[in-house]
Amino acid sequence: MGKWSAIFLSIILAVCLSVVGLSSSSFAKDKEIAYLSLADYTGPIAGLNVPADMGLEDYIKEINSKGGVDGVKIRFIGIDTRYDVARGVSAYKRYRRTPKLLVVNSIGTPIGKAIARLIERDKRLQIVPGDGEFQAHIGRNFIWGPAYQDAFAAMMDWVMDDWKAKGKSGAPIVGFISWDSAFGREPLRGGKEYAESLGIKFLPPEFFPPGTLKHDVYLTRLEKAGANYIYAGGVEPTPTNVIRDAHALGLTKKIQFLNGYWGATLLGIGVHAKALEGTAIVSFFERGEDALKNKLVTDLWKKHRGSMDKFNEVYGMGVSWGMTCEAGLKTALKAVGYEKLKADDMYRAYQKLGGLDKHGIQGPCAYSQTSRRGSLEVKIYRVKDGKIVPITGWRKAPDGVSLHKF
Amino acid sequence: MRPCGVFDKSYALDLAIIRTWQHWVILISALILLFFFPLFGSYYIISFMNYLAISVIVGLGLQIVSGYCGQISFGQAAFMAIGAYTSAILTIKFGFSFWIALPLSGIMAGAVGIIGGAPSLRIKGMYLAMATIAIHFVVIWLILHMEITGSFKGLFPPPPSLGGFEFDTDERMFYIIMTVMVIMTYAARNLVRSKAGRAFVAIRDNDLAGEVMGVNLYYYKLLAFFISCFYAGIAGSLWGHLITVVNTEQFTLFHALEYIGMLIIGGMGSIPGVFFGVLFIRILNELVMFASPVLAKAVPWLGTSPAAALGLSAFGLALIIFLIFEPRGLAHRWEIFKASYRLYPFAH
Amino acid sequence: MTGFLQQAITGLMIGSLYALVAASIVLVYKATHVVSLAHGQLVAFGALFFWLFLGGLGLPFWMGLIPAFFLTALIGLLIERLTLRPLIGQPLIAAFLMTFAIFIALEGVFVLYLKGQTRALPTFLPEGNLDISGLSIPINQLISFFVAILLFAAVSLIFKYTKLGLGMRATAEDHRLAQSTGITVRNIFSYIWILSAVVAAIAGIATANVMDIYYMLPYIGINGLIVAICGGLDSLLGALVVGLLLGVVENVGAAYLDPIVGGGVKDVVGYVVLLLVLLIKPYGLFGLVRIERI
Repeated sequence: MGKWSAIFLSIILAVCLSVVGLSSSSFAKDKEIAYLSLADYTGPIAGLNVPADMGLEDYIKEINSKGGVDGVKIRFIGIDTRYDVARGVSAYKRYRRTPKLLVVNSIGTPIGKAIARLIERDKRLQIVPGDGEFQAHIGRNFIWGPAYQDAFAAMMDWVMDDWKAKGKSGAPIVGFISWDSAFGREPLRGGKEYAESLGIKFLPPEFFPPGTLKHDVYLTRLEKAGANYIYAGGVEPTPTNVIRDAHALGLTKKIQFLNGYWGATLLGIGVHAKALEGTAIVSFFERGEDALKNKLVTDLWKKHRGSMDKFNEVYGMGVSWGMTCEAGLKTALKAVGYEKLKADDMYRAYQKLGGLDKHGIQGPCAYSQTSRRGSLEVKIYRVKDGKIVPITGWRKAPDGVSLHKF
Repeated sequence: MRPCGVFDKSYALDLAIIRTWQHWVILISALILLFFFPLFGSYYIISFMNYLAISVIVGLGLQIVSGYCGQISFGQAAFMAIGAYTSAILTIKFGFSFWIALPLSGIMAGAVGIIGGAPSLRIKGMYLAMATIAIHFVVIWLILHMEITGSFKGLFPPPPSLGGFEFDTDERMFYIIMTVMVIMTYAARNLVRSKAGRAFVAIRDNDLAGEVMGVNLYYYKLLAFFISCFYAGIAGSLWGHLITVVNTEQFTLFHALEYIGMLIIGGMGSIPGVFFGVLFIRILNELVMFASPVLAKAVPWLGTSPAAALGLSAFGLALIIFLIFEPRGLAHRWEIFKASYRLYPFAH
Repeated sequence: MTGFLQQAITGLMIGSLYALVAASIVLVYKATHVVSLAHGQLVAFGALFFWLFLGGLGLPFWMGLIPAFFLTALIGLLIERLTLRPLIGQPLIAAFLMTFAIFIALEGVFVLYLKGQTRALPTFLPEGNLDISGLSIPINQLISFFVAILLFAAVSLIFKYTKLGLGMRATAEDHRLAQSTGITVRNIFSYIWILSAVVAAIAGIATANVMDIYYMLPYIGINGLIVAICGGLDSLLGALVVGLLLGVVENVGAAYLDPIVGGGVKDVVGYVVLLLVLLIKPYGLFGLVRIERI
């Protein structure tokens, strides 16, 4: 045993040393900046993270192969946090003193909140998912698109239109079902106020733990309460699973189901086309048929990932992050040049990105001194014959954040 | 660690934790080194050591209840949450200073720990372990659904301050955390040699036999839970004020399992074992986390996310291999090493 | 009343899945006294293999089922031979940690394959709902419910009437005693892991039929563990009864308590039940009460 454990220990030591050696030798001599992604590659929201970071990584590769942004290359560092705050914080602290670490993308709101103070202190900028809180308290945290409550409010607008288009009178009754977590409840903070201001009757929201087997209880309760519309929150595949259960119960015929922007994707549709038929999805990035028509995104995918049958639209959102970073870097370089470039310059540059065109992947960038929203526009999609087709054009999402007292 | 030929010549010496002047030199120089560390250590190492020290405090508590008293508890993450939340609520909503909130949060966690440990009076072994998992989920659920804990929004405790001096960086918190850790380690080391410690060991080895010998099972089991949760509460409070955000996503069952893992890797029923276990698991975790981007860079066709998944497997695999070779933990190996050092240069 | 019955029946269907997962854990505990977390992954891999053959390769039902069982059993066997056998004679808590390590290692493989996506099993059971006086029951779940019941009966019969089962029961009673009567305890351990892995694979296929194959699938192992503990770690009957009960309690609890406390009851009701049961019956509802000697 003694011999074996000695061998084992020496193997571990060798691995440690080689890792240390590799990580220190990986500093390139080129001019480069670092982009840190605190992502969840193996945890509960991996379905969203993996394709998004693929898009970002591929876009950065593309930039670097063309010689970088004005000669400055971008180094992508993807760390798997597993949606664990302690790991996220630890990872940020590991890279905190990295020279020219300009952008931190914290995927997962709890991690974003946990390192927000450090970001503030480092005069760095952080991009985070759609919590309205970051817009309500302007700081160094930029959200990816419109806030959750904005998108929810846009959905409510569509609900009213749809209700009138169906020729019904009175107010529609809307139910809400989502994860029992801060993220799951976020659309209601402001979104509920907006819905009620439209005269919509809002049912008591239903919450369930992620990974629930069957959602029958919640769905039947909402049905009994007379819901005309049900908004299924959570990150894929949860919304798909909720709607699949509803389909099995036969509810999809009488109730219109709605998804937020982390709702059904092409892959989800591929799995449960029949159940999802007719579902309306509000999205700030291109989905479904639109995304498949976007040459920029699909060419990038085909070049780096091969066949299109595993394509996920969230990939496009990653590309859009890359564009933001590219434009921000360009602006910052113009202002101060590479030698003097600091994280704070990038923060200032990001605030000047308003109006940046995203090649149709997402509405024009809306970052400014007073806005932390990645874009203001959303599109409503609908599942039709197993395809996600747009039913509206880009429309400005109402400001849901300001309706809530944070 | 004593070389051959050194004997205890008096009862007082036999009782002492530190028995020779060499030990004193090593201990004092180690402490000095520790407290001057921020002057020359890199930022990452310092912040990582903070995390290690907090884990050590949690681990020490767990060692007392599981390693010494034999009551396997998976509730440690939840009790840490109670400490963190108590401290946050006291400082934010009631305006207490951190220095009062710190012990109070330990006591609060300990008090809840007594309730949480109450099933141990009837339940044993794996059944108790599962009961503590249940307690974990109930506590987290309650935190998430109560108003005072900020429900799902979480709380934002301020960094500690002393006479206008704010402990708001990792380097500054380092001193608080390390001081607390040293005190807690000393307390634990002493506790397990006291009457209570011996009672714990008696309960672990055979609770019925212990009871027959006059150990008050109820009292000592609950005491063990109280102390263990006190440690967790203190650690939680430090953690909350270190990262200044408290929400339930920070205290998952995975962490609770990790703490038990540290104990087994380090060695049950040994205070140095806690340090070994914490070091092993945390360093392995960091290695895996930071090796995967390096791997992704070295093998470009693999991609970033598969590299991360491989890292996860590597973590599990390292644990498996370790357990196959050292199922009794590193402290066991440490004891063997100590014994052979004591005998050197003789064979037996 | 129909509302209540409907919720109870939905709960029963889910409960049968919990019961199956619990059964696989109970089987291993009975013979080896190891409480296993790794079964969550066996469940997931069983479903994944089945999907590979059915959805991926397009084989017919039976042709997919047999190799899926075989491969899952292989994983079970490898777990026993490579990781748990060296731990015989070591503290049981080390074996528990070992199963946790196996869980993590296999999870890495699982997510490496899935890359965050979802796989749905093709429909291999008849679809539609059975309507009995206002109650509607999905037919495919009804089938898996009865499969679960039959499986329990089959495993119990194996235990009762075959020589192998006799060996398993003897091993469960006392390892040394069994060894001295000529039973090769180590082989029994292997057999029991194979049997347990097959049960886990069936549980996995039945579960994936309801919830798809994705990241959360292995975590049904924790529900299985609750059920196994609640019912008594060494009782198959306990696993069945408590499994069904837990499904019903979760569902009915969510139906009637959610509006009172503001949601999320399903998260916690199982654990509250577990605590209550253990406080009243420390060895689970049907667990064997061991009389300790000093």
